[in-house]
Amino acid sequence: MRKENCEGSKHRTRAAPDPPPLFDDTSGGYSIQPGGYPAPGADVAFNVNHLLGDPVANVAMAYGSSIASHGKDIVHKELHRFVSVNKLKYFFAVDTAYVAKKLGLLVFPYTHQNWEVQYSRDVPLPPRQDLNAPDLYIPTMAFITYVLLAGMALGIQKRFSPEVLGLCASTALVWVVLEVLALLLGVYLATVRSDLSTFHLLAYSGYKYVGMILSVLTGLLFGSDGYYVALAWTSSALMYFIVRSLRTAALGPDSMGAPAPRQRLQLYLTLGAAAFQPLIIYWLTFHLVR
Amino acid sequence: MFVWGESEGELGINFDHIWQKTLTVLNPLKPADGSIMNETDLAGPILFCVALGATLLLAGKVQFGYIYGMSGIGCLGIYALLNLMSSSGVSYGCVASVLGYCLLPMVILSGSAVFFSLQGMIGTVLALVIIVWCSLSASKIFISALDMEGQQLLVAYPCALLYGLFALLTVF
Repeated sequence: MRKENCEGSKHRTRAAPDPPPLFDDTSGGYSIQPGGYPAPGADVAFNVNHLLGDPVANVAMAYGSSIASHGKDIVHKELHRFVSVNKLKYFFAVDTAYVAKKLGLLVFPYTHQNWEVQYSRDVPLPPRQDLNAPDLYIPTMAFITYVLLAGMALGIQKRFSPEVLGLCASTALVWVVLEVLALLLGVYLATVRSDLSTFHLLAYSGYKYVGMILSVLTGLLFGSDGYYVALAWTSSALMYFIVRSLRTAALGPDSMGAPAPRQRLQLYLTLGAAAFQPLIIYWLTFHLVR
Repeated sequence: MFVWGESEGELGINFDHIWQKTLTVLNPLKPADGSIMNETDLAGPILFCVALGATLLLAGKVQFGYIYGMSGIGCLGIYALLNLMSSSGVSYGCVASVLGYCLLPMVILSGSAVFFSLQGMIGTVLALVIIVWCSLSASKIFISALDMEGQQLLVAYPCALLYGLFALLTVF
């Protein structure tokens, strides 16, 4: 019965003199081409728009959906101005086997032999196919886990409140931003011509959150001594990992002709970045394990 | 049944689909059909959220502000992550719908909090089991709907973090 009513109203309104300009102006996708398709286009538009049988509701729905899609387009355009989503997607093309192996590598990097990032026709392979490629999934998850773990640790010590959680999160975020900026400045000053984009540096500085989580967990389970042991182990592993990875990554795919002082500058930069890590780890975690 | 069918069509709520999706959530080990998320509906999730709020209220915890804030931010985070990790994009409504459906076991947890206190070994174990259950079914639906392979545990982990926050609210 309902279907009959629908079709009846459709026939009735198609026969009546309708106001085409009203529909054409407000509905986003049904504008009539100048000088062409007057009758068939209008019929198609009317068919779709008269499903509910109420012209005012149709106008409102069409207007609302056009505003929504317009808003989404604006957000996408602004986002694409700051962040190249395709480049970012490269860092998230991971799978479970890669994540497991990379986590193992972060904890015990001493037996890994080949640290070169593999390329295929000058384009670096995504993390799925290359264990040495940096990714942003692990740093992001580690950061969020660290913030939640900090909240839990404070809750266990009865010092929890949502404001403290927010404070922890913003402190850690500020440190990440500062470190990435410092690394960018160092790379610029050393005039290293390399493939190290901002996202690469973000990835490498985010790997220390894995070490932080392990230290905090050990400290919570085994007390202060466990915390310092875990801190020493993860710091040394992380320093080794960063030095080995950045040394080959900073040099890029063709690194034959770099003069000696520039090479030494790159080495100092890498060592400095590596030595800075344990300090940050200690600074951000010791107040959680009291 | 004739009247029931008419009101179903008028409201736009397909009870059969809601029941199918609920069954998929309740059995996390059975592989999911990729086409069940073709139309996003928020009727089921809204129902489960209201049920969760009601059971929390019965247990004496009035924290609706935190629930709304956390679920909004959590949905946004998982929406961004899934868009970056999958080859085809996903809409925010789809993410909210799946996460809302998989909230059902959490309703069971908060329902049991009404009868006995969860702060103890039993409560912790029960909460962990329910978190794993929720995140496994959510990740199962996501990877079958978005055709992502070898990433189920990677999707399950952020979902587990989100549901862990809900469980924290329920337990404490």
